[in-house]
Order: sequence, then C-alpha cells, then structure tokens
Amino acid sequence: MATGTDQVVGLGLVAVSLIIFTYYTAWVILLPFIDSQHVIHKYFLPRAYAVAIPLAAGLLLLLFVGLFITYVMLKSERVTKKTQ
Amino acid sequence: MTKLAQWLWGLAILGSTWAALTTGALGLELPLSCQEVLWPLPAYLLVSAGCYALGTVGYRVATFHDCEDAARELQSQIQEARADLARRGLRF
Repeated sequence: MATGTDQVVGLGLVAVSLIIFTYYTAWVILLPFIDSQHVIHKYFLPRAYAVAIPLAAGLLLLLFVGLFITYVMLKSERVTKKTQ
Repeated sequence: MTKLAQWLWGLAILGSTWAALTTGALGLELPLSCQEVLWPLPAYLLVSAGCYALGTVGYRVATFHDCEDAARELQSQIQEARADLARRGLRF
C-alpha cells in the first residue's frame, strides 16, 4: 500500500469524486421525481445551473490547459534562443 | 472500422436520439419529470465520466504498492553514479 501523503491525497480524490457524483446525481436524476413542495429542494440551485456550472468549469479547464501550453512553448522558445 | 469511427458513430447515434427526444421531433408525449431528467443528460454523463476518472486515479494512487527497499537502493545507485561521473570530469 502507498504511504503517507499518497494515501491521503488518493483517498481525498476518491471522496471528492463521490461527493460530486452523488450531489449531481441527486440534482439531475432524483429531484424531478420529488414533489416540488418537499424541503429538500432548498439544498439545490435552479436546474439551469446543473448544465451551466459544469460548462463554465469545462471552459475554465480548457483555458488553463491553453495557458499552460502557451507558457511551456514560450519558455522553450526562449531557451533555444538563448543557446543560439 | 477504426476505433475513432466507432466512437464517432456511437456518439452521433446517441446524440441524435437525445436531440430527437428533447425537441419532441418524434411526437412522443413524455411525462414532464422524464423531460426534466432528459435534457441535462449529456452534461450529466460528462460529469459522471469525469468523476469516475478522478475517483479511479485517486484510488490507484492510494493503493499503489510502494517498494521502500528498491527506492533506497535506487537513490544510493544515483549517488554512486553522480560521484563516478563527477570524478570522470562531467559537470552537472
């Protein structure tokens, strides 16, 4: 078995993914079948956010990936220019 | 058929089924709660695929077998190699 921080980080990732999965499943799949007067609807945002938030997160992810690639390319270009 | 073509076919078929059902082009009268579940379905599948990937990565990180002895042996071998190469004149 892995030790120390590896285990903590790994189990943390598993826990985070389970939390996100259960909340999102309840939001998208279960909530439409629950009576709209039930108190549980208080814990969930309006349904439009169920698509808007993952979409925004995906776009942010693409932005960061693009920025990282740009940074790496610029750095390698500067290195080759210095050695020329 | 290549794997890419298979995946694209599968996505195209599922996508067109979903589009046909959500726009009501087939003329089916689904109950309102089913329609409510149907339209965010692609986003839901993407998010669950992401969660599965994240969870699998985390689980494999947590259960990866460390080899303490091999790690120590490797570190000492690296020190040995560095000393040897430095002696032969290679500058780090």
